[in-house]
This record gives sequence, C-alpha cells and structure tokens, in this order.
Amino acid sequence: MADTYNIYKPVMATLEEVIEESPLIKTFVLIPREEFSFKTGQFIELSVDGIGEAPFTPSSSPLVTDRLEVTVMKTGYVTGHMHELMPGSVMGIRGPYGRGYPVNEFEGKEILILGGGCGLAPIRSLLFTLEDMKDRLEKVILCYGSKTPADCIYKPLFSRLNSIDKFEAYRTVDITDDDWDGPVGVATHLLEDVKVNIERSVAVVCGPPIMMKYGTLKLLDMGYRDDQIYLSMEKNMSCGLGKCGHCMMGEFFVCKDGPVFTYREIRHNPDIWK
Amino acid sequence: MYYISISKEDWHRSLEYLSPEYDIFVPVKDEYSLDYEPFRLSMADQVAYNEPKPATPLKNFFLPVRENVTSMAGTRKSRIIVGVPNCDIEALLLLDEIYLDDGFTDPFYRTRRETTILIASDCFSAGEHCHCTSYGVKPYPERHADMAIAADGDTVFLRVITDKGGSLVNRLLSAHPVTDMSQLVFMEERHMSVESDLALKNKGLPNYEATGDIVGKAGKEIWVKYASKCVSCGACTTICPTCSCFLLIDKPDFEKVKQMDACQYPGFERVAGGEDALFELPDRFRNRYMCKYVWRPQRFRSLACTGCGRCIEACIGRINKNELFMELA
Repeated sequence: MADTYNIYKPVMATLEEVIEESPLIKTFVLIPREEFSFKTGQFIELSVDGIGEAPFTPSSSPLVTDRLEVTVMKTGYVTGHMHELMPGSVMGIRGPYGRGYPVNEFEGKEILILGGGCGLAPIRSLLFTLEDMKDRLEKVILCYGSKTPADCIYKPLFSRLNSIDKFEAYRTVDITDDDWDGPVGVATHLLEDVKVNIERSVAVVCGPPIMMKYGTLKLLDMGYRDDQIYLSMEKNMSCGLGKCGHCMMGEFFVCKDGPVFTYREIRHNPDIWK
Repeated sequence: MYYISISKEDWHRSLEYLSPEYDIFVPVKDEYSLDYEPFRLSMADQVAYNEPKPATPLKNFFLPVRENVTSMAGTRKSRIIVGVPNCDIEALLLLDEIYLDDGFTDPFYRTRRETTILIASDCFSAGEHCHCTSYGVKPYPERHADMAIAADGDTVFLRVITDKGGSLVNRLLSAHPVTDMSQLVFMEERHMSVESDLALKNKGLPNYEATGDIVGKAGKEIWVKYASKCVSCGACTTICPTCSCFLLIDKPDFEKVKQMDACQYPGFERVAGGEDALFELPDRFRNRYMCKYVWRPQRFRSLACTGCGRCIEACIGRINKNELFMELA
C-alpha cells in the first residue's frame, strides 16, 4: 500500500437518491467518487460532514460496483442527521472493513437465514449474492420478523424471493394490525415450520441482540452445530481498523475479526449477548 | 550489541550538537517529579539517569492526546528520547502490533516511530509500585530500544542495540568502544541489585500468565468490591503505557480528529440502539483487567501490562491492582 495512504480519510460519495422504507428507515443510494467495492457482510463507515460517522453494512449487491445502498434506521445523533440529507449531498465512506460471509463455503448447502428488524439490510446484500450463485446452492430460506407490518422494510423483496427457484421467504410480526393476515410472534417461531436438511445446511442470524441470542439457542436446539451458525455481531465499530477499541468483544475486534463470526468462534465468551 | 563509553560532559555536548537536527527529550528530576523535558545544555546537571520511570508514559510521544488525522503532517523533525525505562520500551511493542498492523498502518504513528531514536535507560532502583520483573520484563533493556544508557559517576556507558543506535554513535564526540569489560561490572551489580529488590518487593505477586488465569476466573464480587472506590476518571488508562484506545471526532470538510479515549469512561461501548455492554461501573472496571491480562494476550504477542505500576500511583481511589491480584491468588 502506498506510503501516502491514510487509513482515516474517507472517500467522497454523492447521495443520488433517498428511498423511504418505513417511518424510521431510509435507504441511501450513494455514488462513490473513487473505485469502491465490498464483499457481502463487510461494513463501511458512513459519515455526515462535520457531524459524525457510523458503521453500516451495505444493503445492495456487492456485484454492483458503481453505486451502493445503505439502509439506515433513525436511532441517534448521526443517523438523525443522515435522515435530513437530500439527494445531491456529499457523504464520506471509509472501508470496506471486516470479514463478511464466507459464501464460498455455502456452496452445495441449504442456507437458513434468520433476520429481525434492520438486520434485513445486510441480509438483502447477502440474498443478492446468494441469488447470483443459486446454481451452486441447494436452497435459501429466509425467516424474518419485524415489530409491526409497517416496520418491515423492502416488502416487495418477499414476493420476489418467493418467485425465485430454490428461494423461500417467510415473514412474521410481533404486533399485528388490521391488514396483516400472516403469522404473529417472534421470528424464531418461524424456524419451527421450515423444512431444512440440517446436516447440509448453514444458518445465518442477523438482527437485534435479543434475537441473535434466542435465534442461536433455537438453532442449536434444532440440531445445528456451533460452526454451522454465522452471526453478524453488532458493536460500536468506530475506527473499523482494529485500533480504537470501542468494538472489543473479548479478544476480538469485531470490526476486523468480524463482524461475521461462527458461534463456535465466540461462544466461550459469556458476554457476547450483552 | 556492544558498549561505548563517553564522558558525561561530552555526552551532553553531543546532545547539544545534535539539537539543530533532532528534538531531544531527557528525564529531568525536580522536587516533585521525574519527567521528560526538552534538552538544553544549561540544565544538563538536572538530567536524571537510571532512575525508575518518568511520569509520562512513552506512548504519549507516539499517540498524542488529540490530533487531526486527515491532513498528513509535513516533514517532521526527528527525535531522540533519552532515559526510557524498559517497561515503556516493552509496552511500545503492543502499540506497534496495533498501529503498524499490515494493511491498516497508522501513517502518523509510523512516521513518528521511524523518525525517533530511543535511548533507553537501565533502572538502578525500583519505584514503590514497580513490578516489571513479575511479568518477565527486565529493568534494563537489551532489545527493541536503539541504545540503553547507564551512567557511572562522570562516565556514560551506552549499550548499542540497533543499527539506528549504531549510526548515532558516529555522531557523538569522543565516544570510545568499551574493550575492558571490567568497566561494566558496576552495571551488572546494579542490575542484580534492582532485580533482587523487585523480587523481594513483589514476592507472591502472580506472574503475567497466572494473573490472566485468576482474572479470567474471578467472580463478580471482587469487581464490585474494588470498583466501589473507582470514579471512572480514567487516570489508570491515561497513564498506562499500553492503553491506546481512541475516539474519532468528525469536523467540517470531512476532517477527523483522533482523541485518546478509554473503556473506563461511561458510554465507551454504547451503540446507537442504546445497548451498552459496559454500562455498569464494575463491568467497566473489570474490562480493563480482562483486556490487559486475558483478552490482549489471546489476540497479541506482546504484553499488555509491563508492570510499570503507574496505574496504582495515579488512582485517586487508591485502588491497587496488585492487592486485587493477591486477594484472588
């Protein structure tokens, strides 16, 4: 790497479009001004000029290299400012960082994906990747839960997935409304009805911490081995470079050693669900 | 490794001669403390050699408390830092692992490392809370520093360790290679004496690995007990030669300022959704011990505590980590 390379300096990107996904969630379509590519499951640090930056896993396909999409829930200071941005704004991108999903190891297997809330954003990127390699996969099953039907992002994604050969997608909600006629309950419940050959399967879990924990326990209960379960861990990844320490999870820097870990790699640490 | 000798007067004149080219820092002792100061020939008699650690940890020379990391620094004057204790030299190895990491090298840290000559110092006495030898660190450097200094009366002996150190020898006035090894007997005696002092002082203190074992197995009670005197001031992490966590702060025009940070401060691990694994003070308190004795040893080759004892001295709650370890052992 060139001597002048500065790991802290972001690449500029133009905000081309802002898509409203739900009352609190928007997708930002960005055109990086320099070459930029990522592997599915890796994350970027996205910054608002003068305000701050935060880590996000792109929700778009890694196969598309001239633009990327980042889906952001409005939860705090930085994301609050992001939601105010209009098309044409300039944002900063650092990365990509970390270890994404080892999709080559998924070949020939049935992929069971458990997602919750905003966890669908990184999962969508994974689904694009899996769709591209579907000839080399047995099956892809998505079980997804959102708080309410309105909180579910990318609604058209579900019908599209169900129309793709080898793909199945299921949805549930915690709290129902008048228009909802699907299952009610946490996403983990959906796992009870899926037909999967566990021996030839891997499971991917991405969602809020509570779902990560109980989802993992449920998968173990179903017979998944700890090295068949891939978890996308959420920590305060601040520098993305394995230095600043904010994302330490035991001996690991989640930003560099993760964010995707097998449960086997991290289960010895009782604090991972905190 | 070889030795050269030089009179103290010529040594100080040499430093003066090198001053236009280098920023030179030396340990200076006054009635309050021992700490680094820029060298001036006029204060040569205040330079303290072979004393235990200066107040400032070496990391501060490489990781400033706050710096803009988006505008690359221009040409920087090279530096010579004199009188670095071996606990700090060994601590720098961990910082090297983190900041000179392949692919993610910090260009600011690298430049400072490349343009700094480290002239370490043999400790001829031990501070009250020094415990380097308990963790396998000698009180005198034989590696990683460029040179090490040992003063005997009006003579200074320099142990030349690296080529970088060797290249500086040619710039010193009236320096002679030591051929009569009996001249160094005083040094060996001092080494043995300080090592036996340290062994006696720290009798019963578990070694680094054993400390990791007991810390890893410790129950919540011990953390709650010791954390009851902690006010999360972060003095222990500020003064620690291996603590190097930081925060990136965004400024207009996408500039970023890197500021030292610490797991002892509330909110260090808080994520936007509100979860904070270190919300409770005893958890934050424990985190520092787990980091130094359990987690960093699993992740890195270098020691995350070199036994300098500064954290004990800096604590306003008078928390002594070694008492905690003795209680657990």
